[in-house]
Amino acid sequence: MDAFLAGMGTLLDPYMLFLVFAGTVLGIVVGALPGISGSTTTALLLPLTIAMTPAAAIAFLGSIYCAANFGGSITAILINTPGDPSASATAFDGYPMAVRGEAGKALGISAVASAIGGIFSVFVLIVAAPLLARMAYQFGPPEYFALAVFGLSMVAAIGGDSPVKNLLAAALGVLLATVGLDLTTGVERFTFGAYALSDGIEFIPVLVGLFAISELLEQAAQHGTVQSYIKLKKVELPTLADFRKCAKAISLSSVIGTFIGVLPALGATTAALICYNETRRWSKHKEEFGKGSIEGVAGPEAANNAAVGGAMVPTLALGIPGSTTSAIILAGLIIQGIRPGPHLFTEQPILLYVVFGSMLAANLLYLVMGLGMAKLFARIALIPPAYLWPAVFVLSVVGSYAPNQSMFDVWVMLAAGVVGFLFRRHGFSPAPLIMGLVLGKMVEETLKQSLLIFDQNWLMFMTRPVVVVLFAITVAGLAAPGLMRLWRMWRASAA
Amino acid sequence: MTLPAWRSRTDLLVAVVILVFCVLVYGLTYRFDAVPAALMDGLGAELFPRLILGVVALMAVLIALGVGITPMAAPPPVHPMVWMTGGAMLAFMAAVEVIGLWPTAFLFTLGLGRLWGERDLVKLGLSAAALCTVLYLLFVRFLGGTFPKGLLASFWS
Repeated sequence: MDAFLAGMGTLLDPYMLFLVFAGTVLGIVVGALPGISGSTTTALLLPLTIAMTPAAAIAFLGSIYCAANFGGSITAILINTPGDPSASATAFDGYPMAVRGEAGKALGISAVASAIGGIFSVFVLIVAAPLLARMAYQFGPPEYFALAVFGLSMVAAIGGDSPVKNLLAAALGVLLATVGLDLTTGVERFTFGAYALSDGIEFIPVLVGLFAISELLEQAAQHGTVQSYIKLKKVELPTLADFRKCAKAISLSSVIGTFIGVLPALGATTAALICYNETRRWSKHKEEFGKGSIEGVAGPEAANNAAVGGAMVPTLALGIPGSTTSAIILAGLIIQGIRPGPHLFTEQPILLYVVFGSMLAANLLYLVMGLGMAKLFARIALIPPAYLWPAVFVLSVVGSYAPNQSMFDVWVMLAAGVVGFLFRRHGFSPAPLIMGLVLGKMVEETLKQSLLIFDQNWLMFMTRPVVVVLFAITVAGLAAPGLMRLWRMWRASAA
Repeated sequence: MTLPAWRSRTDLLVAVVILVFCVLVYGLTYRFDAVPAALMDGLGAELFPRLILGVVALMAVLIALGVGITPMAAPPPVHPMVWMTGGAMLAFMAAVEVIGLWPTAFLFTLGLGRLWGERDLVKLGLSAAALCTVLYLLFVRFLGGTFPKGLLASFWS
C-alpha cells in the first residue's frame, strides 16, 4: 500500500503529469504520421529519456506506446494508409466507412474501442505481472536461457514474410550483441581495435538507424506518390446501437489482444490482424466486412491497444520483450541501469505503480483527445514529406550523437539505416534484429552461467522441468507451420 | 540455368551473401586474443559467436533451399531519389566536420526538402530554422550537450 501511494504521489507530480501528457500527444501525432510508427518514435526519443529518472522515462515512453496505436488509426481511416503498422487491419473497414461519409463515426468507435482494450490490458498487467514475477522468482540461469530462446523463437511469427528470415535476423541481432568485451574472459570481440566498440554496440544508434533512417530511405523510394485524403467533419461518439453491435467484437478482441501481447515478440500488429479475422468469424454481419463494417474497426482497434498492456507483462516480469516497442522500452531501462525481471517487483515497486498509473492515464487521455481533437491530429498527419523526413534525419543525428557525444555513433546509425533498408527490400523485418540485440547478452550470460552450474554438461538442461517445457514449446512453435503445411498437403492428396 | 519455381534467384543471392558474411566473421573469431589458462573454465569468448554463426548459416541454407520462406520476386531497382538522399546524408556527415552540426542541420533540412519537391524556400527556411532552434534549446540549453562546431569554428575563434 505504501508503494502504491508513493507511486501515485510520484505520478501526480506536475512534471510527471506533463510527461504523460506530452507522451500521449506525441504518440497520437507520430502514430498518425504515415511511416513513423510507435517503435520509431520511442527509438527517436530514447536519447531524451537518458536525462530523466527511470520512472519519468518509462512513463514517457509508455504513454507514447499506448497512444501511437490509436494515432495510427486516424490515417488508416482517412487516407487508407496506416500511420502505424498495428492499424493496418483498421484500414480494411475504416477507409470504406470514410468513403461512405462515416469517417467521424469510424474515428469515434476507434477511440472508444482502443481505450477499452487498452484499459482492460493495463488491469491484466496489474494482476498478471506480479503473479508471473512471483513464479519467475524461482528461476535460475537455465530457465532464463530457455525463456530467452523461447522469446527469440517467437520472432518467427512477427513482421516480414518468412519465419526463417525472421529467425535469421534475430540471430544476427544476437551476434551483434557479442561485439565488445566478453564479460567472463575480458577478450575483445569484433572491436577492430576501436575503443568505441569495447563496451559493445550502443542500442540507441542501432534502434534509430533501423527504424528511422531505413524508413526515410523507404520514403525516398516512394517519392512522388500522392495520397487521397477524405475530409473529416467531426468525430462522432458511437450510438448505443453501434456500441451494442460492437460489444462482442471489443470484448473478444480485448481478451485475445492482451493474450497475444503477453506472448514474447508478438505485438499489436499480429493481435490486430488475428482479431480482425476473429471479429468477422463471430459477427452476425459477416457480409459487411471489407465494405465498411463498424465491427471491423472496433475489433482490431481494441486488440492492438490491448496488446500494449499485454506486451508489458513479460517485459516487466521477466525482462523478455513482448513486442518491438517494448523491446525499445526495455533497452531504455537497461540504459538507465535497470534490468526488468522478478526482482523489480520487490526492489522497485514504486516504479511499477508509476508504469501502471501512467499507462492508465495515457489510455484515458487519448480517448478524450481522440474524440475532441482528431480533426487537428488528422491535419498534422498531412505534413508534407519534404518537411517531415529531413527533420527526422536531423533529430536522428542529434539523438544518436548526444548520449556519448560521439560521431562514431552517428556513423553506426547510418550503417544500421542502410542495413534496415536492405533488410526491407529483401523481405526481412528489422524488428527481430532488435529483439536479438536486446536479448543477446542475456542469452549468452545465462548460457555460460548454466553451463558452469551444470559443469559443462549440456544434457543437464533436461533435468529442469521448466526448461524442458519451454524447449518443448519452442520446438513445437518452430515446427508447427511446417507440420501444418505437410498435413494440408497430405489431406489435399488424399482428397 | 533455370531455377525451380519454389526457389527465388533473389533469395538465393541473399543466402550466398549471408553465407560469405558468416565465413568472414567466423574467420575473425580466430583473431580473438588468447584466453589465460586460469580463465578457460566454461565457454570461451569465441564459442558463443561461432554457435550463433552456425544458426545464421543454417538459416541461410534454408533460405537458399526455399524452406520456410515465401519466394521473393527481385525487388525493383533502387529509386534515384534514394541514392540522392543517401548522398545528401554523406554530404551532411562531411559538412558537420567543416561547418559544425547546427549550420549543417539547417542547410540539410533546406536542401533535402528542396530535393524532395518543396518549391517554397522561405517556408522551408523558416521550418528548418524552427527545427534547429527547438533541438538546440532542448539538447544544448536544457540537456547541456555539446555538439561538433567544425573546423571553421576554430579559425573564427
